Amino acid sequence: MVEQLPFTALLNRLFAGPVTALLHALGFHVENPAAPMSNAFAMEVLVFLLLTLFFVIVRSRLSVEKPGGLQHTMELFHEFVVDQSHEIIGHGSEIFTSFLVTLGLFILGCNLIGLVPEFESPTASPVVPLGCALVAFFYYHYHGFRRQGVGKYLLHFAGPMPVLAPLMIPIEIASHLARVLSLTIRLFANMFAGDMVTLVFFSLVPVAIPVLFLGLHVGVSLLQAYIFVLLTMVYLAGAVAEEH
Amino acid sequence: MRKFAFVFLFMALLCLATPVFAQTTGGAAATSSTNWVAITAGFSMAIASGLCGLAQGRATAGAAEALARNPAARAGIQLALILGLALIESLALYTLVIIFAKVK
Repeated sequence: MVEQLPFTALLNRLFAGPVTALLHALGFHVENPAAPMSNAFAMEVLVFLLLTLFFVIVRSRLSVEKPGGLQHTMELFHEFVVDQSHEIIGHGSEIFTSFLVTLGLFILGCNLIGLVPEFESPTASPVVPLGCALVAFFYYHYHGFRRQGVGKYLLHFAGPMPVLAPLMIPIEIASHLARVLSLTIRLFANMFAGDMVTLVFFSLVPVAIPVLFLGLHVGVSLLQAYIFVLLTMVYLAGAVAEEH
Repeated sequence: MRKFAFVFLFMALLCLATPVFAQTTGGAAATSSTNWVAITAGFSMAIASGLCGLAQGRATAGAAEALARNPAARAGIQLALILGLALIESLALYTLVIIFAKVK
């Protein structure tokens, strides 16, 4: 039994009853009814609450004449995602911006919260990156269906020529499922390996050296959040692309 | 024609591996005390990281040369570089994940 973080213990103390009842109603088996929420889940909830607070504060302080610091930060992120998606997806990419910004900020928040003592990165547990990858997967397929129509979108899995279809369809299905796998493992392994390597060096040299690996963790967090959003944009571009 | 000669020579050399048939079936590392799983894990991670390093070196070299030839294309080159490096890195990380899944 992994020991609980302080925030997890707080959430379990407050909400264990209703959450266990909900899980039982949905048919899930709960090992420990007094602590149904895992550390990863509690950290995700925390990142969600912090992000919502951030968005609400930015929204309430929006100003054209005198933008504040938070507005600048949000605009920085927003413009970055808008520019990247315009470069990769082309015209009509504005409808994806809100999803991509939220996904990027959520993954970034999840990655960075592991640096604070008494908190851990939920992305270091394999299920959280799987959730993000599945959301991205269903999102780009949904927009592919919406933009191109159900029949035409399914038809493009058959490849450029109809005679190649029996070969192309299994390859395309495997490659799309491999996208989910690779998004998940890339994010999970980077965060998990960062934790492992920090622990290994902490066991070797307890003073000063592990701080370097925390710095590496910051860099890797930013890079992996960027790569996740970038790859989602690339998959979106592939799904909504129209042959001219 | 010479290529076929090498292929057949290699296949003939594989026949030297007949002592493999003398193995008894059974669980892994039942009687020997050598922890083959850990040794294999070390070698496989080393090979994966080494090849990943070579590939990332080639990607960075290509990007640096392209940037030197055409500094105006910095945005596209940077995008291709970051994307390429992350995809190559993830291949080495798959090896790490298999190790953590299989080594107790």
